[in-house]
Amino acid sequence: MKPLPPLVNQDASFVSRRVFTDGDVYRREQQRIFARSWLYLAHESELKEKGDFVTGFLGETPVIAARGQDGAIHVSVNSCTHRGLPVCRAERGHAARFICPYHNWTYALDGRLLAVPQQALTHTQIDKGALGLRRVTRVESYRGLVFASLDDGIQPLDQYLGNMRFYLDNYFDRFPGGVQVIGPPHKWRIAANWKLPVENQLGDVGHGPFLHGFIMRNNSATTEINEFGLNVVPEPGHGAAIRLFPEGTDSETVMWGSENGSARMFSAETQAYLREVQDQLAGRLGPVHARIKGLTFGVYPNFSFLWANSVIRVSHPRAPGQVDYWSWWVVPADAPPAVKCELQSLYNASFGPAGLFEQDDSEAWSQQYLGSAIEQLDDQPYFYGLGLGEEQPHPLLPGKVGTSFNEHYARAFYLRWKRDIESAGDDARPDGEAR
Amino acid sequence: MMRSADRSDLQQDIARFYYREARLLDERRFLTWLDLLAPEIVYRIPARHNYVGENSARNTEQYHSLAHELSPPEEAPIRRDNLALLTVRAQRALAPQAWSDNPPPRTRRMISNIEPDPDADPGAGSKGDLRVYSNFLLSFSHHSADNHLYTGQRRDVLRPQERGFLIVERTIILDWNVITAPTLALFF
Repeated sequence: MKPLPPLVNQDASFVSRRVFTDGDVYRREQQRIFARSWLYLAHESELKEKGDFVTGFLGETPVIAARGQDGAIHVSVNSCTHRGLPVCRAERGHAARFICPYHNWTYALDGRLLAVPQQALTHTQIDKGALGLRRVTRVESYRGLVFASLDDGIQPLDQYLGNMRFYLDNYFDRFPGGVQVIGPPHKWRIAANWKLPVENQLGDVGHGPFLHGFIMRNNSATTEINEFGLNVVPEPGHGAAIRLFPEGTDSETVMWGSENGSARMFSAETQAYLREVQDQLAGRLGPVHARIKGLTFGVYPNFSFLWANSVIRVSHPRAPGQVDYWSWWVVPADAPPAVKCELQSLYNASFGPAGLFEQDDSEAWSQQYLGSAIEQLDDQPYFYGLGLGEEQPHPLLPGKVGTSFNEHYARAFYLRWKRDIESAGDDARPDGEAR
Repeated sequence: MMRSADRSDLQQDIARFYYREARLLDERRFLTWLDLLAPEIVYRIPARHNYVGENSARNTEQYHSLAHELSPPEEAPIRRDNLALLTVRAQRALAPQAWSDNPPPRTRRMISNIEPDPDADPGAGSKGDLRVYSNFLLSFSHHSADNHLYTGQRRDVLRPQERGFLIVERTIILDWNVITAPTLALFF
């Protein structure tokens, strides 16, 4: 590959427009980021029983995640070793084996090749052990979130998440019965680069009152963000935008489910449930957690979580200017069915392909792509310097902490991104093909 | 049983109602459109999934019944709006700081395959309510050359009024798995 032009300056206060549009950059991202990071795939609650499966993507690579007969979650590339067709065509389900429709090559839940129907008729010796689906050997979970990596040598997930675990705990360990992810996800295609949605939810709190002005002008979320908002970089590339309320703030204000008065519109049963969760939180996770009201979380490179809206999102790259955006609704597993049903509105009134917020976000991301594609502006990189140097360690919160509109979440992301895409690629390694 | 002349009148009345509704929406008269909704309206868009057919149902129409594809009630649908949310959407679309609608998309709604089912049970508490199926083709054009086509079915419950109808329920069955149009926050 040819050398890249300068893309990100030393402190990432400037980021080239090409970062979003260049075809070589995109290929490098596939090889050096999506093939070497931990990528979110599924939640354990989607794979409860032996034989349960979901299909998904690790970057552009289609995979199956299945609970095997041994009780473990196995991830295999969804492509037959004979002619390459997908061996699983559904988004989720329950299966004993996966069968390719073309010649009925048959695979176990863990990807082993079980049967080749015409083998006996042709008297062929086949090494079935070598012809299983490509296994994704690194599969690890954190609080039920299942991540997989195409890099056999990647550091353990716990270490990769580092300080991000504290913030993930705030939601994913909040409810006594854990959470349940309701799949399959909603999926929609946006004419944008995959990093815009990611960047938006790593900590771009600043666009709220403007792009979403009709909803967010003068609402309580905006007031809370102005007063108590913090922008945290737990580890470079990860992010957590939160509100940290003072000690002694009443439960109604801080609790999950109470956004801009939403809790008051719920039934008494739902309100009581939400309050009980909040009132137990200090004892369950610690006093700091009971003061945190989240906004957005991000795990490098493409996992996002909207705390208040209870929705996991993954930005799947498809081309420099095309992303398939997936969105899974999350509920407290132990909430009564009527409560879960009411909580749907936290998600789909605001987000998802018909969300009041999402409609403006998707359109803005598409418009940003058009701006990024202006070749004559190669010498005019984007400014990412708001709050430069203002972020500091914090007495209560792990990571580096800035005020709400500090863009350090994006600077840290693009510095990590730059290091990754400039790292030696498979094409530079003598043994590249064997990897 | 209805006489066929009555059926034909009913068909005409529903078509006239739908054409006016489509025109109001294409002319962006969203606040006027709200007057066509019953106070208890439920406006849904289920998600549509790729699924595995139940082997026990193979070779029957049940095997590929549409119901398998549509998200069940315990899943979050793409949309489940009540009158309050539809009102917010209508007001938002006319506000300056609603950037995906400013400038507004150019839309054209074609409503066809109108099929009232006067014998179907419209459910408890109905006030002469009717179940009506229709199909739509919606052309959406935004900015300069961002052009898209939406297709789908509407499953409505309509309540006859002295003049026209009120929409009591609308379920929109879209023909996509991955949504390839810019937004589903429109009125279908």
